[in-house]
Order: sequence, then C-alpha cells, then structure tokens
Amino acid sequence: MQTGNRTSLKQLRDTATLIRKDVIRMVARHGQGYVQQGLGAADLFTYLYFQELRFDTANLNWADRDRFILSTAHNTAVFYATLARAGLLDPETLTEYCLDGSSLEINASERLGPLVECTCGSLGQGLSVAAGLAMGSRRQQRDANICLMLGDGELEEGQVWEAAMFAATHKLSNLTMIIDLNYMQVEGDARDVAAIDPVDAKLESFGWQTIIIDGHDFEAMFASFAAARADTDRPSCIIAHTTPGKGVPFLEGQKSHNMVLPEDTAGDALQWLEADHG
Amino acid sequence: MAETDDNPLKSDALHLDDFSVKQRPHQQAVPKYYGEALLAAARADTSILALTADLTAPTETDLVRDHLPDQFVMAGIAEANMVGVGAGLARAGFIPFVHSFSVFLSRRSFDQIAMQIAYPKTNVKLVGFMPGIDSLLGVSHQAIDDIALMRALPNMTILEPASPADYQDAVAAALAHEGPVYLRLYRATAPATPLDGVPPLQAGKIRCLHHGNDAAIFATGLMVEQALLAAEDLKAQSINASVIDCASIKPLDVEGIIDIISQSKSVVTAENHTIIGGLGSAIAEIMAGNNIARPFFRIGVQDCFAEGGSRPFLFGKYGLSAKDIAAAVKQGLAS
Repeated sequence: MQTGNRTSLKQLRDTATLIRKDVIRMVARHGQGYVQQGLGAADLFTYLYFQELRFDTANLNWADRDRFILSTAHNTAVFYATLARAGLLDPETLTEYCLDGSSLEINASERLGPLVECTCGSLGQGLSVAAGLAMGSRRQQRDANICLMLGDGELEEGQVWEAAMFAATHKLSNLTMIIDLNYMQVEGDARDVAAIDPVDAKLESFGWQTIIIDGHDFEAMFASFAAARADTDRPSCIIAHTTPGKGVPFLEGQKSHNMVLPEDTAGDALQWLEADHG
Repeated sequence: MAETDDNPLKSDALHLDDFSVKQRPHQQAVPKYYGEALLAAARADTSILALTADLTAPTETDLVRDHLPDQFVMAGIAEANMVGVGAGLARAGFIPFVHSFSVFLSRRSFDQIAMQIAYPKTNVKLVGFMPGIDSLLGVSHQAIDDIALMRALPNMTILEPASPADYQDAVAAALAHEGPVYLRLYRATAPATPLDGVPPLQAGKIRCLHHGNDAAIFATGLMVEQALLAAEDLKAQSINASVIDCASIKPLDVEGIIDIISQSKSVVTAENHTIIGGLGSAIAEIMAGNNIARPFFRIGVQDCFAEGGSRPFLFGKYGLSAKDIAAAVKQGLAS
C-alpha cells in the first residue's frame, strides 16, 4: 500500500527504466506490438503505481483502494510490467504476455482479476464506468480516488463527451482522467484524423479542471495530482504530453501504433537502457 | 397545430403525461405498476438506484425521484454513458436500475451492455419500456429486435411480464438474480391479463394460463393477452389450445416447454418483436435440438420495420392480433 510519502525522483526514474526494459523484452518476444506507447507512458505508469495510487498488495479487493481504469486497454506491456514491479503481479507471468491461454491478454481483461477494474478495449467506455465508480465511492463516503487513462485518439468517441458532461454535472471531483497525449493513432497523426485540439479548452468548457504537463516530468506529475486533489468541485484532467518510444533515442518520436520490433533493434534498445541507467 | 391544454383529445391521444413532468389537470392519472414496485424495493434496499435518460415519467421513475431523491440519478440524453455509469455503480456495490425506452437501451447501448454488464456480470437491471411495435412514436421508437439482441448476450436474463399484475414479481425476480437482467415492460392503464391463481413470475419457469391439448400457444408480454383471446375464440369452435406465458425468455424453461409440446398437435409462438431471434426462434431451437416435429408458426413482426400508430391498428396491420394467432392455430391443425 502506498503511504503518501514522496518517492524520490531517482527512484521513480530508475523504476521507469526497469519498466521500459520489461516492455522491450515483452514485445520483442512477439516481434511486434505496443512498444512505442509503452515506452511513452512508462513514466506515467511509474508515477501512478509508485506514488499516486493507494492499494494493498495483500488485498487487491480492498474496498477503499484507489481505482485505476486503463481505457486504452491495449497499452498492456507497460501496464503489466508496472504491476509486476509494484508487487501486484508475479514477474514470472510477464513471459506469458499474449500467449494463448494467458490472462495477460493484449487487451487487458478482467480475467486478470481485480487489477483490471473494468474491461475496456472497446474505446470510449472507460470514463463512463469511472464516473459510476466515482459517484458510488462518494455516496459511500470513501476517500478513494478514481483514476483513468485515455488515449488522445479515444477522444474521437462520442461517449467520452457524454461521460465528461455527466462527471461535471455531478461534480465528481474524486475523478482524475489522464490523457496520454502523443497524437498517435492507427491512421497516423491524431490531428490529421480529427480536430481533437484544443483538448484543454474543450474539457474546460465541459466543466473540468485541466492541467497540461510534460508526461515525462515527475515533478509536474506531483504538482498536477496535488491540484486535482485540491479541486473539490470539478473532475480533473491531466493532459500529459508523451513521446512515443521515450527513453530509447532511436525509437523516440517514431509514430507506429503496432510497431515491428526486430530482435536486433530490441537488443540495441535494451543495451541503451542498460548503459544509460545500469 | 400547437398542443394546448384545452384540447384534451389530442393530449390524451399522444399520452403527453409521458413527456411532461407534471400531470395536466384534465388528464387521468396513469397507474404506475412498475414505478410502485421499484419504489417499494428501493425503500427496502437503499443500495437500489434508479437511473434514467431524460425519460423519468415514461419509465415511472418519477416515484423514486420524488420520494427517494437520493436514490435517483438523472443521466441526461446519453444512454451509452448511462449504461457505463450503471456498471460503475454496480462495481461500487449498488444495484442500479437503468431505464429508457427498450429501443434506445438495446440498440444504442448494445456494446456498452455487452462489455460492461453482460461480460463482467455486473448487477445491473436494464429496464426498457415501450417494447415492440406498440408505439405511436414510430419506427425510431419501436424495439422490434431487442429480445434477439439481449438473448444473444451470454449471462443476460430476459423477463417480459404479461401483465402489470406481474411487475412486482418481475422486480423481485430481477433482484433475486445477482447479475444482469433485462426487463421488457409496457405501461398499462389496468392489469389487463388476469393472473389470479397462477404461480408468481419466476426466472426460468413457464406458466400455463389456459389448458388444451390441440395446440400450444407460447406467448410473451402483450401477446399473452392476444393469445388468451385467441384461445377463447378457438374454444367456441371446439379447438382447445394451451396458452403458455413465457415471461422468462432467458433462461427458458426448456423442460417445461418440451413437456407441453409433447402433448400438443401444433405449436404457435406469439411475440411483439420480429420473428427472427426472439421467442419463436428460441422455441424452434428447442424443438429442433430435441428432435420434436410439429406444425409450427411464429406470430410476430414479419422481418420488416413498422410505423407509428395505435395498438389495435398496428397489431392488426402487422399480424399480431388474436385473430392472427387463432388463424395460425387452425392452419397448424389442418396441416
């Protein structure tokens, strides 16, 4: 269980590097997968599970736990790697990622157990369930926070905006949405697909507090989550700019939804991460 | 012509009480059989919540809104979100009753129902009103395929009571099952189909409302009344037909249905729904799967879209009347 003590920046950075290496290894076994998103969101996941979220490793069903919903349910390499590093999942199981019969499916499903608070994958649904959980938690006078992560492409789903309006109407201030903003979707740059910008102005006009951060800056994450908790009147959205492939210079910025990762590239990436951070 | 309060005929014809928050002075109050049942259940269990998508009066949830405001959630005209919110509330330990017209719940929110309710078996009760073609509001408001959609979902229980006299038992049955339930209800001015002396509605059980060995009529919802009228008419012609209420469309009482069919010379099914994928299909699957052959007719919407109109007009035009059921029984016995 997280204690509320501040994790050191060095510890967060080192953990993120370990998680990035896990992501490379997990995707490399298949030669292709969600490696760019995984590397891009590794810092956010590290912050969530090593600083922000309150949970009990001995009792995953603890009723007062903070809830985390991964609405972009395909970004699982980094999700599972983080859970394993946080002591919530047996690290040995990471080798089963995407294998037939494994509960570590490419789209996270609740076959994995309570760590998957709801089965997303069909984009646009996570925020509605999170809003229901936030409303329920508040009715029960729990102080748990409900967090969810969305991709920017997912903002093209109409249900997200139905749910955004609902959460603001009901002043669900215990709800924090993180948008992993990398402008990357299957068809290419999200801005070429749909006019998703300006995300902050859109959500503010819907009644949300919005905070824009660099999704690789842990200091900014501390400040933004503190601001989210401090607003007791509105739901909050942390718009985190992330770089696909972050942490491996020759992968950084390559936009590919389901990128091919040849063995030698994976080896070079692991070598770089080893050399850089040991 | 703009509707006015001094034009009672027009107002009554359009059931405007369904669409206004307050009863108009000249209008007769419509009884709220479901609303009363839900209110009683919600009083007894504070974890029960009523959610609605801007259709409070038409889904009779105004009673919960007015008497138990803390247990009422207005979700706005956003059914897909409402279903997701209901799933989240269920995951937090509440028992949400999620209301809309059948057509919007089933068609518009189908993916959300599949992924957030049926797959995880969340304890959400979906309550759809105005089923089938029974609507003045036209094709956009006519749920002719909701049974087929819901029946295809694993883990879904479907209950369609024949009469408002059953609504209290339907709510009880929905609560007795911890998991997803779809209640298919119509608003009624009186409990048209008398159910005195028959056992209470139960999931997984048929009820024989009229006995006869010549033919078996399996009916659900509004069509039970038509089936009983048909049986009376047939009796006058010395044809004895059973009328079996199939309020529990899923799970179906397979054993009970086989037992009835094995004693009957022909089989007719009747539903206020397309003949594809609903009760008729389910009975046909049982017969084929158990190697039972009988003359077989499905009364229902014959694979077409309908139009707005009164119940007698639509049931007559689209072949859902007692007359159509009786004709099918006679055709079966003649073949």
